[in-house]
Amino acid sequence: MAATETRVAPELDGHGFVAYTEGLTKRYPPTVTALAEVSFAVRPGEFVAVLGPSGAGKTTLFRCLTGLTRPDYGTVNVAGRDIWQSPRELRLARRELALIFQQFNLIRRLSALENVLVGRLAHVPAWRVISRSFTRADRQLALGCLDTVGLLDRAGTRADELSGGQQQRVAIARALAQHAKVILADEPVASLDPESSATVLESLRSAVSAGVAVVASLHQVHLARAYADRIVALRDGRIVEDTPASRLDAKTIEQIYERNGERTDP
Amino acid sequence: MTTAVRRAGEYTEPVVAWWSGRRLRFALIVLLLAAFYSASWQLAKVDPGRLLTGLPKMVGWAAKAWPPATDELPVLLLRTAETIAMAAIGTTAAALLALPLCVVAARNVTPSMALYYPARWFLNALRGVDSFVFALLFVAAVGLGPFAGVLGIALHTWGSTAKLWAEAIENIPPGPLEAAAATGASRVKVIAYALFPDVAPSMVSVGLFWWEFNVRASTVLGVVGAGGIGQELKNSMDLLLFPRLLTIILLILVTVTVIDHTSEWLRRKLE
Repeated sequence: MAATETRVAPELDGHGFVAYTEGLTKRYPPTVTALAEVSFAVRPGEFVAVLGPSGAGKTTLFRCLTGLTRPDYGTVNVAGRDIWQSPRELRLARRELALIFQQFNLIRRLSALENVLVGRLAHVPAWRVISRSFTRADRQLALGCLDTVGLLDRAGTRADELSGGQQQRVAIARALAQHAKVILADEPVASLDPESSATVLESLRSAVSAGVAVVASLHQVHLARAYADRIVALRDGRIVEDTPASRLDAKTIEQIYERNGERTDP
Repeated sequence: MTTAVRRAGEYTEPVVAWWSGRRLRFALIVLLLAAFYSASWQLAKVDPGRLLTGLPKMVGWAAKAWPPATDELPVLLLRTAETIAMAAIGTTAAALLALPLCVVAARNVTPSMALYYPARWFLNALRGVDSFVFALLFVAAVGLGPFAGVLGIALHTWGSTAKLWAEAIENIPPGPLEAAAATGASRVKVIAYALFPDVAPSMVSVGLFWWEFNVRASTVLGVVGAGGIGQELKNSMDLLLFPRLLTIILLILVTVTVIDHTSEWLRRKLE
């Protein structure tokens, strides 16, 4: 971001974006280009669904936005911070951005509640983390997040004793507990039954109403239509479509999933 | 894909030629192993004949050893306790020293590769020298007695424990660590909250294994003068006091069995 630009709010850049990338490129030699010159931006209170066939670069985009993967070229800006400027900027930017992983990534031997409290790690002093004594306020907040995803009764259950769907909901509660400005969700409902999918997307939707930006990759087009405000389609590491959800038509969907004249996904 | 459908029997199978790299490598390994074992047989001066002539001597000792001597049992029990104490203090000291070093020596969580390699070299050096050899050096430095044994055990176990712990850390799935780091938590918090609960059981298991191992190892540390029951063992052997020797061997067997079972039971509890 150029230094001359004026800022609307400290966490936004001059154009009102809470997170954006510019010219993001990531190659995995020798042959794979996961992302090619991707410029992507999201505003507060916006629900963006990312569509695209497997291998289109959705996961890489999310990992780059979180700073878990370092791009070959391009910049990532989260809440007004250039994340690769310094380790400190990266850490501060990450507080404002919560990532929900495709494989949940819960700590197996900790309870659901303790896993949700991971979302509070950056906000509490180190001694509280080491002694695992969180404040009552943090514990209550975490329990509230478990309630939101419908898992209050499993708060004391060890993560590895929960079903896949329950683990994913704990992961979402962990993201909610972070009180981030952006929530990124990598296939959040891929392993869930329709009812849990609805619970999860409803809770993401309610975060959006509270002003959070949500970016979720989805495989089911009808869910994207039902919950998202905007649809971004990736194919072979490039953004091929960026449109309001209401304008998504059958022809566009076909183009997104088309490869070598052949359909690869729904 | 629009591949033509073929039936079973019509597929061409991959052909492996006899001169292929894989087969040549296998033949080479067999040859090398044969050469290695024939050389080792020569170097170790294996001579079954001498074992046969020596056996009657040992049977004679065994006959003379019965019944085991019980008059010095209190002293021998004290020595046994000394041995267990040496192992416990040595292993605990090693574990405390290993705790910070295993984090530095684990590739996935090390603060910097510039520290990782020296840490690995240091641990390998400690591991490379047996506690017996360390004890020999410490007997010369701090004098006869169990303290030399404690120091010997601590140094060797430090290297071994830290290396195994570092490997346990490297084997845990990276996902939960990434998830914790992605919230903006610092490295210390990630290690304490996301890494530690995952590796703690295997770390305790490794620690118990080394305690058990060290009880066995310290029964012989006395031979170099580092205290414990081993010292009595050597004295009895030197003076050919076979009934006393038998008592000592029985004590060692009982101790080692009890410790092994306790440790195994504790480790099973951790699963």
